[in-house]
Amino acid sequence: MSHDTLPRPVKTPDVPAGRPTGRRRRHWTQRANPFAGVSTFIWLVVVIVPIYAMISASLTKQDEALGNNALKPPSDPTLDNYNTVLHNGFGHFLWNTIVVAAAVVAIVLVLCVPLSYVAVRTRNIWASSAFRMFLMGVAIPAQAVVVPLYLMIAKLNLYDSLLAIILPTAAFAMPVSVLILTGTLRDISEEMYEAMALDGASTTRMLFQLVIPMTKGGISTVVIYSALQAWNGFLFPLIFTQSDGPRVLTLGLFNYVSQFGVNIPALLASVVLSGIPIFAVYLVARRALVGGLMGVGGK
Amino acid sequence: MKGGSRVDAGRPPRGSQAKAGRPHAALALPAVLFFAFFAIAPMVLAFYLSFTKWNGLGDPEPVGFANWQKLLTDDRLAQSLTVTVLLTVVSWVFQTVISLLLGVWAAGRQKNRAILSAIFFVPFLLSSTAISLLFYALLDPNFGIIRGDTLGSTNGAFLAIVFVGGWQFIPFHTLIYQGGARQIPEVLYQAAAIDGAGRVRQFFSITLPQLRNTVATSSVLMVVGSLTYFETVLILTQGGPGTDTAILPYLMYEAGFKSYDFGYASAIASFLVVAATLLSLLMVKLSGFGAMRSTREGM
Amino acid sequence: MESTTSNGGRTFSRRWVLGAGATTLLTAGLSACGSSGGSGSGGGTITAFVYGDDAVKVQVKAIDRFNASAAAKKAKGKIKLEKVPGAEYPAKLRTAMGSPNAPDVFFNWGGGSIKAYKDANQLIDLTDIIKSDSVLKDGFLPSVLAAGGLSGHNYGIPMRGMQPVILFYNKSLFAEHKLTPPTTWDQLLDINAKLKKAKITPFALGGADVWPELMWLEYLVDRIGGPQVFEKIKNGDASAWGDPAVLKAAETVKQLIDDGAFGKGFSSVAYTNGGAPAVFAKGKAAMHLMGSWEYSTQLGKFPDFAKKDLGWFAFPSIEGGAGDIRNVVGNPTNYWSVNARTSNKDAALAFLRECASEQYAKDLVANGDIPTTANAEKLLDASPNPEFAKFQYKMVQQAPAFTLSWDQAVDPNVSTPMLTEINKLFVGKSSPSQFVTALKGLK
Repeated sequence: MSHDTLPRPVKTPDVPAGRPTGRRRRHWTQRANPFAGVSTFIWLVVVIVPIYAMISASLTKQDEALGNNALKPPSDPTLDNYNTVLHNGFGHFLWNTIVVAAAVVAIVLVLCVPLSYVAVRTRNIWASSAFRMFLMGVAIPAQAVVVPLYLMIAKLNLYDSLLAIILPTAAFAMPVSVLILTGTLRDISEEMYEAMALDGASTTRMLFQLVIPMTKGGISTVVIYSALQAWNGFLFPLIFTQSDGPRVLTLGLFNYVSQFGVNIPALLASVVLSGIPIFAVYLVARRALVGGLMGVGGK
Repeated sequence: MKGGSRVDAGRPPRGSQAKAGRPHAALALPAVLFFAFFAIAPMVLAFYLSFTKWNGLGDPEPVGFANWQKLLTDDRLAQSLTVTVLLTVVSWVFQTVISLLLGVWAAGRQKNRAILSAIFFVPFLLSSTAISLLFYALLDPNFGIIRGDTLGSTNGAFLAIVFVGGWQFIPFHTLIYQGGARQIPEVLYQAAAIDGAGRVRQFFSITLPQLRNTVATSSVLMVVGSLTYFETVLILTQGGPGTDTAILPYLMYEAGFKSYDFGYASAIASFLVVAATLLSLLMVKLSGFGAMRSTREGM
Repeated sequence: MESTTSNGGRTFSRRWVLGAGATTLLTAGLSACGSSGGSGSGGGTITAFVYGDDAVKVQVKAIDRFNASAAAKKAKGKIKLEKVPGAEYPAKLRTAMGSPNAPDVFFNWGGGSIKAYKDANQLIDLTDIIKSDSVLKDGFLPSVLAAGGLSGHNYGIPMRGMQPVILFYNKSLFAEHKLTPPTTWDQLLDINAKLKKAKITPFALGGADVWPELMWLEYLVDRIGGPQVFEKIKNGDASAWGDPAVLKAAETVKQLIDDGAFGKGFSSVAYTNGGAPAVFAKGKAAMHLMGSWEYSTQLGKFPDFAKKDLGWFAFPSIEGGAGDIRNVVGNPTNYWSVNARTSNKDAALAFLRECASEQYAKDLVANGDIPTTANAEKLLDASPNPEFAKFQYKMVQQAPAFTLSWDQAVDPNVSTPMLTEINKLFVGKSSPSQFVTALKGLK
C-alpha cells in the first residue's frame, strides 16, 4: 500500500469507496469510540443535572423545597417563584444590563476599530506604542484597579450611575478586542488598499469601504466578546453602584441572596430567568455566536 | 493571503503605494486616551495609593512604605498567593483536559454531536454570578441537593470553586478547541491511518501538536480568567473556611471594602498587577503570540 | 512593526512617561471636580439608607407617613428610602459616603461603626439639637441615646428595637424530650447530650456570616471573666486578649464544636440568607443564640413557628465564672445619623422627630420589637408576643452590664481581622491558644 500512496497521493480521495478512504473516515469520525462515548456521557450528566435541578426546584413551592431533595420533580408545579422574581425588579435590572451592554459594545467598536486600523497599517512609533499599550493591557486585572477607579468615579460624580459601570467595563474590554480586530485586519491584503488608493480613496473612505466590511468577522466577535463582558460584569457594579436605579442583573441576582435567602426556589427562578434572554439570542443566532466565540480563541 | 502580506512587508515602502491606507496615528488617539484614563491611570493611582493611608473618607495621607512592609510580612498574603496559584493550576488542568477532549470530539460532524455540543454550551450562557448562585443553592448544607458541609471544608470549598469555574468556562474552551481541531488538515490523519497509527497515537502525534497554538491561546485566557473567580469566591465561600479560599482579588476586596484599609488594598492590587503582568509576559513568550504576529508581518 | 521590536525597550519607556504625565493631569482634573460636589441646605428630596431586612417595614411606614406630613411640607422635602441588602450594608455605606452621592440620613450601629464618619466630619452633631427639642430629649431612654454617640456627643437617634442577644429554643422539641431551659452551663451540656442522642443538633449557627459565632464568644467571655475583660480590649488594650477568660472561652467553643453542638455544616450556613433561622424553625436544631431580632425574622419567614414554638432564656451562667447571668451582650439598638453635607437638614431633622413619635414606637412593637423610647413599657401589651416583649425589656432594664457587640465596638480595621480569627477558631483552622496569640497581635 505504501508504494501505492507515495507517487500519487492526490488520487486517493477519488477512489470511489476505496478502502483507504473508507478506513480513514471511519477512523476519524465514525468508528465507535467507547472512551469518548463514556466521557461525553459523564460530561452530559455533569451539565444536565444542575440545570435540571435548577429548573425543577424553581417550579417547586418553597415549603416543599425546604423538606425535599431538589432532584425530585415538584409534586405540584407552580410559577409563583417566577412571579416573585419578576415583582422584585428583575425586568428593571435586565433593562439596565441591556443598556450597559449596548453602550459598552458601541464604545468599544467606535474606539477600537480606528485604533486597530492604525495599529496594523500605520508604521510609526506612535502607532506601535499604542498597540503595545493594549497588548500589555490584557494583563491588567480589573480587580486590581477597582479601588482607584472608585476614587475617580466618586470624584467625577459618577458614583451610583450606569456610566460608572459602562466606562470602565468598556475600557477593560478593549485590549482583547484590539487583539481580535488587529488579527482580522492583518488579513486584508496590501493589493486591496492599493486598488482603493488608485481610485483616489482617502484613508477615511478606506476605513468605511474596505476595513469595516472586510473585518465583519472580527467585529462580530468583538460585539459578542464585549457584550459578554457587560453581561458578566459583577465587580464594577458591586463597587460603583448602590441603589436600585442603576442596578444591573448580576448585582440584582447577588442581592436576591439576602433578599430571598433560603427561598431556594425563588433564587433559582431568578437564575433561570437571567439565562432566558441570552438563551433566546443563542437560539436565534447560534451560528454567529458560536462562530464569534471561536474567534476569541483566534480562529 | 499570508503570503501576500509577507511579500509586502519585505518590500521597502515607496511612493504613493506605500502610503495606501496608512491613516494618521491621531485616529488612534481617542482609544488611547480612553484606555489610559480608565485602565492605565487607575493602575498608576493604585500604586500611588499603596503609599498612603486612606479609609475611603477624606483624602489619602502618605505613609511611606508601611503598607508594603505589612504586605511582605503578612502571612495571609503568602497563603493567598498559594491558593491563587493552586486554583489557577488545578483549574487549568481540569479545564484543559476536558475541553481538549470534548473539543476534538465535537469537531466531528455527525448530527448527534451538533445537538450534544449545543447542550454542552448552555452553562456558558449564564453569568458567573448566576452560576455561583446556582451552586450556592445546590450546595446549601440543609436545603440543597448535595447536603453536607461541602463549602465548610477546605478541600470541598476549593474543589467547588474549581468545579464551578470549569462548569462555566469549559464550554467556551471546548469551542476554541473545536475550532482548532477543524482546521487540522484531514490529510494528516489519512497518512497516519495508512501508516497504521491508532486513535491514541493519532491524538498525541497529530492532534495535540497541531493544536499547539490553540492550547496556548486557551491557556492564556484560562489563566487570566481564573482571577475573575472573585464573584464565585464571594458568593460561595467568602474566602472561607477560615481564610482557605481567599484568593488575591478577594484578599484585596476584604482589605478595601471590609476593613476600609484602601492603602493596604492598593498595595495588594499593585502586587496583583505586577504578578499578572509577569505571568502574561511569560505566557506570551511561551505561547508565541509575538511569534505568530511576526510570521504574519513577515519578519 | 520591525522598528518597534528592535527598540522595543525605548518605545515602552516613552509610553510610560506619557502615561505618567497624563495621570498627573487627570488627578489634578479630578480633584477639581471633587470640590464642586458640595452640599447646601434648602428644599429637595433626600435619601435615607437602611439595612434591608425583615424589620424594614417599620421604616417604610414611617417614611410614607413623613412624606405626607405637614412637617415634610414645611421642610420642603421628602425622603427616599434605599433598602441596602444586609450583608453588604457597611461596605455600601462606606463607598457611598466617600462619594458625592452620599445618603443624607443613614442607619448605623453607633459606637465604632460611625467613628470614621465622625473623624471625617461627615456627621451632624446632634447634641444641642436634642437638648433643645423635648420630643427627642425625653423621648428615648437616656442610656440608649448616649450609646449612639461618641465621647459625650450625640450623633444618632434610636430607630429600631433593643437588640440583646438571647438564647432562643424550640418549645415543642424541648417538651418532646422533657427538657427545661438551663440556667447553668452544666445543665446546658446535659441538654446537649440528650439532644444529640435524639439526633437533633443542639444549636443552629449561621457560621458563614461569622458574627453569629462572635455572639458565643461575647457571652462566654462575659460569663467567665466578667464584662471588664472586653471593656479593656475596647479601650484599645490589645494585650487584654491575653486574659485567661478569652482562652477559656475559646476552649469552651472548641469543646462545643468537637461535641457536635452546632452540627457539621454550620460554617456554610448563613444567618443573613435565612439559612440558620430555617434550620431552627424546621426543628433541625433545638436552640439558637441570636439577637432579639430573631423574633421578627421568624415572624416574617415562619410565622407559625414564631407564634407557637419559639421560646427564649438568658445565656446560662458558668460555674466559677465572674460574670452575672443578668449581664447582656448585643446592641442597644440601631440609629439614624445625619450626613453633615445633607442638602436638606430641616427635612432630615424633622424625620428624626417622626421616629420619636408614639406611632413609630407602636409600629416597632407590632413588629415584635421593643422600642427604646421612654414610654415603651406601656406599649408592650400590644406586641404580637407581650410575654417576649416584657422579658426582653426587663432583661435590658435589669442588666448590670450591657456589652456592645465586639465588632461594632472596635474599629473596622480591627474587627475584620478579629472576625477572621474567630471564623478560623470555629472551623478548626486555629487552636484556642493560636487564636489568643493572633488576637493579641491585632494592632
